[in-house]
Amino acid sequence: MDLSLLFAQALSGLSRGMMLFLIASGLSLIFGVMNILNFAHATLWLVGAYACYTFWFLLQNHDFAVWLAIPLAALSVALVGWVIEVVLIRRVYERELPEQLLLTYALVLILGDLIKITWGVDDKLITRPAMLSEPVYLAGVPIDSYFIFVIAVGFAVYLALWWFLQKTRYGHIVRAAVFSREMVSALGIPIPIIYTGVFVLGIFIAGLAGAIQGPVGSVTLGMDMAVVIQAFCVVIIGGFGSLPGTMVSSIIVGEVYAFAILFWPGGALALIFILTAIVLIVRPWGLFGTPLRA
Amino acid sequence: MRRKSLLCIVAALAVCLLLASGGAGQARAAEPYKLGVALAITGTGALYCKDGVDAIKLAVDEINAKGGFLGKHPIEVFIRDTHTKPDAAVRATRDLILRDKARTVLGTYSSACAVAIKPVCQEYKVLHIPAISNSEGITLTNFSPYTYQVVPNSYMQAKAVVLGVAALAKKKGWKTYATIASDYEWGRSTQQNTVALLKELAPELKLVKEFWPPLGETQFTSYITAIMAQKPDFVIGSIASKDNVAWMKQAKAYGFFKKIPYPGSLISVTELILQAKSLDRGLVGLCRAPFFAHLDQPMMANFVKAFKKKYNRYPSDWAVMEYDAVYALKQGIDKANSIDTEKVKAALKGATIDTTRGKLSFRNIDNQLGCSSYLGVVADDPKYPFPIYHDLVEVKGPDSWRPEKEIIAARAAEKKK
Repeated sequence: MDLSLLFAQALSGLSRGMMLFLIASGLSLIFGVMNILNFAHATLWLVGAYACYTFWFLLQNHDFAVWLAIPLAALSVALVGWVIEVVLIRRVYERELPEQLLLTYALVLILGDLIKITWGVDDKLITRPAMLSEPVYLAGVPIDSYFIFVIAVGFAVYLALWWFLQKTRYGHIVRAAVFSREMVSALGIPIPIIYTGVFVLGIFIAGLAGAIQGPVGSVTLGMDMAVVIQAFCVVIIGGFGSLPGTMVSSIIVGEVYAFAILFWPGGALALIFILTAIVLIVRPWGLFGTPLRA
Repeated sequence: MRRKSLLCIVAALAVCLLLASGGAGQARAAEPYKLGVALAITGTGALYCKDGVDAIKLAVDEINAKGGFLGKHPIEVFIRDTHTKPDAAVRATRDLILRDKARTVLGTYSSACAVAIKPVCQEYKVLHIPAISNSEGITLTNFSPYTYQVVPNSYMQAKAVVLGVAALAKKKGWKTYATIASDYEWGRSTQQNTVALLKELAPELKLVKEFWPPLGETQFTSYITAIMAQKPDFVIGSIASKDNVAWMKQAKAYGFFKKIPYPGSLISVTELILQAKSLDRGLVGLCRAPFFAHLDQPMMANFVKAFKKKYNRYPSDWAVMEYDAVYALKQGIDKANSIDTEKVKAALKGATIDTTRGKLSFRNIDNQLGCSSYLGVVADDPKYPFPIYHDLVEVKGPDSWRPEKEIIAARAAEKKK
């Protein structure tokens, strides 16, 4: 097996990993700061894909249709996220985890039906811009040019989040809230606004990821369920609430999957779960998480 | 006074009756045959249907030049738009039957439309000849004795891919292949059947690797690169509908189909003509009725010549099949020596007819015409301004259609429901 083939596999694994990172980062952020396990995260991701379809459909006569549809879809999903936080999520911060899970799982079902009512049961197809329909060759290895865009967005989101959390005042407040919301509150900082902001940010990233997923294949009902489990695996392996952890574990999961397909195609998905199980046994707080929070 | 007016009315009525019966009698002497066409004039199917409509008009002109059906029933064509939507197709068909008094409905473009109009035609006892849509469901279950299918159906086409690949492998010296199939019941069983059949037909072929993406997979990139790493001579895919869209879209973006033959995609003559420049040479395509496969048949040669003369272009698969549909009807009428629908229906049962694709027979159990499927390698040809199929493999209808006992079983299962 020559080196270029391994390189091609690694690249495809990276693009898969980046797609997972875009979904898992918001999930991890929301859990890390707010201690809410948002089961509906992938469903909001799917709403992003459908919204992307709608905006693309309205703009399809223009060359920039997809490029404008993606941010518009992400913003609309963020708006939905804001409504959900204010109306529902806000009421369960103090409740037990099972109750939170019940609420977010109910959201999966409700949003799923709302999608069905809004967009119907037909699969939706977004045509890719012509410039992205041909492969790009890196060192003689073909790669789907759209995934170069996906990888770029993945890293951009990572850097932007890192900068926000490490370098800005709001980021500092958010990180402080992770450790002690009482202390932050005592300093006169309104916790509910911080929480709403974090939730909306997390959902915005989910919407962005969904919108980016749109042109990859077709947009269909039930897509979220195939993805949510893998996103949870990523977050568990990386450590809940850890941004670098989510990044590293996304790449690990993407690459493990890609190389498993090459050498052991039947067991690719199983391998991801075995990996997750091992992490849960050996290091329950994940590779980059801190045991304190458990 | 009163009596007089009454007499007048009676007299007027009598005259009316006389006129009416006389008129009807006259009409019966040269009663035109009303042929309904339910095709997609607008919508996604318009591209294929335009050719179909043109071919129907050509066939009708030819027959009318000789006085019409049986030499005395000139054909009147009524065309209604299905908009490629089942509900619109049903409306169009009802209008064709009730307003236009069509005795036969040719159509439709989409299988969903064909399945929807089938019971309507049956209800009004009108013949239905689909000549573009080909879902097996049209003839397999909910069987209507009024429906005659002149297109190789979806089962025949799928089976033909496997049979054709085995033949092509011998021609091209292919040795290795890989499979990619959705990891669930349908994907597993289709893949198993394909592999078993290939083993039987071409034992020298080696299956190098099987790929099983889970159902609902959205990103196939790693599969695509992994398959390319295996460098198989060809790849057989059995991926379910929406996953297939993602797979095809991504594989195309990887340049996959340029590198590895992936037999089974429908590339009809329409695509060969329209994408003459961009279509990758070397693709292994599947089609339903390519005119160039049967130029040795006088009927086909004449049809192509007449079509070219009238429309200044080559006929697509869809034109060929709609043309055959009109002539199938003509031969049914000739055999019945009547335009009475029940008699024509009975005459067509199990009939062997002349078509542009050769002498073909309808099968009794499902009224499916034993027409061939065609597999070949897209290649340039000096005779045409567009690529055609080389290494053409014709898989005969009777070699590819579903065994009768399976049809009986499917209908029994349907009854139980």
